[in-house]
Amino acid sequence: MFLRQAVVIARRDFIATVFTPAFLIFLLAPLFMLVFATVGGTGARMIADSGEAGQRIVVIASAEENALIRAADGRRRDLIPAPIAPPQLETREPRGDPEAQARAVFSESGIDVTAVLYRDGTGDDAGWHIIDGGNASFSANYLAALAEDARRDRLADISPGADPPAIPRTPFQRQEASSSDRQSAGMGALFVLFLLTLLLAGQTVSVLAEEKGNKVIEILAAAAPLEAVFVGKLAGLFGVALLFVAFWGGLVSMAIGALAGPGMMGVIDPAIGLSTFLTLGIVYFAMGYLLLGSVFLAVGAQASSMREIQMLSLPIAFFQMAMFGLASAAAATPGSTLALIAELFPFSSPFAMVARGATDAAIWPHLAAIAWQLLWVAITIAIGARWFRKGVLKSGPSLLRRFNPFHNSAKQN
Amino acid sequence: MSATGLVKYFGDKRAVDGVDIAVPAGSIYGILGPNGAGKTTTLRMLLGIIEPDEGSRMLLGSPRPRTQSDRVGYLPEERGLYPSMKAREAIAFMGALRGLDWRTGRERADEMLEAVGLGGSAHEKIKKLSKGMAQLVQLQGSIVHRPDLIVLDEPFSGLDPVNQERLEKLVLAERDRGATILFSTHIMAHAERLCDRLAIIAGGKRRYEGSVEEARATLPMEAHYTPREDSSALLPLLPPEAVRDGKDYRFPVPEDGMESLLQTLLDSGHGIAGLSLERPGLHDAFVALVGAETVERMESGEELEA
Repeated sequence: MFLRQAVVIARRDFIATVFTPAFLIFLLAPLFMLVFATVGGTGARMIADSGEAGQRIVVIASAEENALIRAADGRRRDLIPAPIAPPQLETREPRGDPEAQARAVFSESGIDVTAVLYRDGTGDDAGWHIIDGGNASFSANYLAALAEDARRDRLADISPGADPPAIPRTPFQRQEASSSDRQSAGMGALFVLFLLTLLLAGQTVSVLAEEKGNKVIEILAAAAPLEAVFVGKLAGLFGVALLFVAFWGGLVSMAIGALAGPGMMGVIDPAIGLSTFLTLGIVYFAMGYLLLGSVFLAVGAQASSMREIQMLSLPIAFFQMAMFGLASAAAATPGSTLALIAELFPFSSPFAMVARGATDAAIWPHLAAIAWQLLWVAITIAIGARWFRKGVLKSGPSLLRRFNPFHNSAKQN
Repeated sequence: MSATGLVKYFGDKRAVDGVDIAVPAGSIYGILGPNGAGKTTTLRMLLGIIEPDEGSRMLLGSPRPRTQSDRVGYLPEERGLYPSMKAREAIAFMGALRGLDWRTGRERADEMLEAVGLGGSAHEKIKKLSKGMAQLVQLQGSIVHRPDLIVLDEPFSGLDPVNQERLEKLVLAERDRGATILFSTHIMAHAERLCDRLAIIAGGKRRYEGSVEEARATLPMEAHYTPREDSSALLPLLPPEAVRDGKDYRFPVPEDGMESLLQTLLDSGHGIAGLSLERPGLHDAFVALVGAETVERMESGEELEA
């Protein structure tokens, strides 16, 4: 009877949510987000690029030294990823007072100089000096390194165009992903799970608002146990969330398949195996949704107005962030005490466990964790229903009355 | 359905104060009382929606009312339907909650809506229906699974006379089907017309329990006397409770009967132009049982102070 009533309520909620124009907006919301993110990101990149394109580091030295500096810059720049590379190098030959020339560079229009390296004096024994524009210490450090490279090259009598001696290289094919790759895969899965629950589970906070507003709660409470009502409401919204995930999961899979080829997923090599890892991801998404959703449902059911429900959105977001933080810390230190705490604490357990799947091949901890999490879903729903019965329906004697045998007689007298 | 010593507090207020009720199977039973008397709370405790602070209940043979929910139909005082649901879906949904399969629920919904002249509204959304029509839909939703016990909380409030008549017919039809019907009301006319038995509740306490006839019988019959010759000498001859009402005098029939009084009236020359003996209505019985002030508040719909 319990299950049948829960299914009836879930079915109603699912249909009432999905067959509405609002659901289409909900379903396509990530698309809007992507469009805005792309447009905004492109704009921001363009602004950043235009700023960075004008940036320069300048070296004022003899032609011979400039050649050595450029050669050193070429070697070093090859090792630095483009996004964090220093500004473009510009070399000039000294004219008159080197310091005055170096200072004048900062005032030139059309370029944004971050640091200047120059010879403080003339002759071979003149020392290098750096003027650091705007505390851009990275540029200054980089120029210092180039000066040192040039000095060593000159001492070693290496000509600027010479290739460094080649060291033989043998490619090594790993049989399995490295531990850091797996840790990254775990972090990635944890983040996806967190993002999905952040977007979807928070909706459960207002799920009983409709029934309280239109008084249907009395019908439901009379016909079914409140636990069945809570399970039904949660299941109905979970169905909506699954539909959302299936839709976007399908689209993303197709996009990956089309853009990167079917072998793309093979790059991810979790310890537990890719198919098991993906299955666990789905299961832990369900558990994370149900665990957090049941907490939010129980809390939201106590609210007496939409304003109160809106007020709850902040603590709910904090709670989710806290669970994410705990699980992230656990994922960063697999096997640690912190990781164990995150795996055992019911509301962070799904996130921590999915990360564990990437680094640990054992299956039994997952089976135990899923059972543990299911138990907590049941406990949370039972507590939520009891709280609702007591707090909203005012059912049963108050605690004061229950534990104070003199209360009744005192009141009657 | 029965209950013994039901007590419910809301904070420090003793909203229901030791109510006993016994509803015979197959009867129409009314709980009569002013707003705030504790009727709704009593019904909710009887159905197991809320637990009493004290007392015990028996619903359809079970001390745990929730286990019998499939055999019960309930129309709450605060009407509630999903506004975006179609009328037949709303009825089928309420039936499904009580164990009826959706298909049968929809078929019965069509029949029931047709029977009350709402067949054309079966596919209308609830928000498009009038308040009275929506209320009928909700009532049908609460009986679509053909329950053994139907509990209606203030079912007539908010209905126009046409829909009140429809509702009365529905209640009688359900009783004829074999269902037991328990309803609360503060309108005495409905209780008087429909109820086999009733309980009067005021201030959280049960003031009366019995049949309508028994309630009326708690008061003596009333005589309406019209003299042939009226004079100032007449009133002292009548019982002290006699009051003048136009050309008539009204007074309770004396405990020793009317014979000696009639003889006195004839001997005094006032004669008898008209005489009728009437059983007091439920209203008068209610006044006698709970007091005129409470009845006045009940009829005005005013909330009763605890």
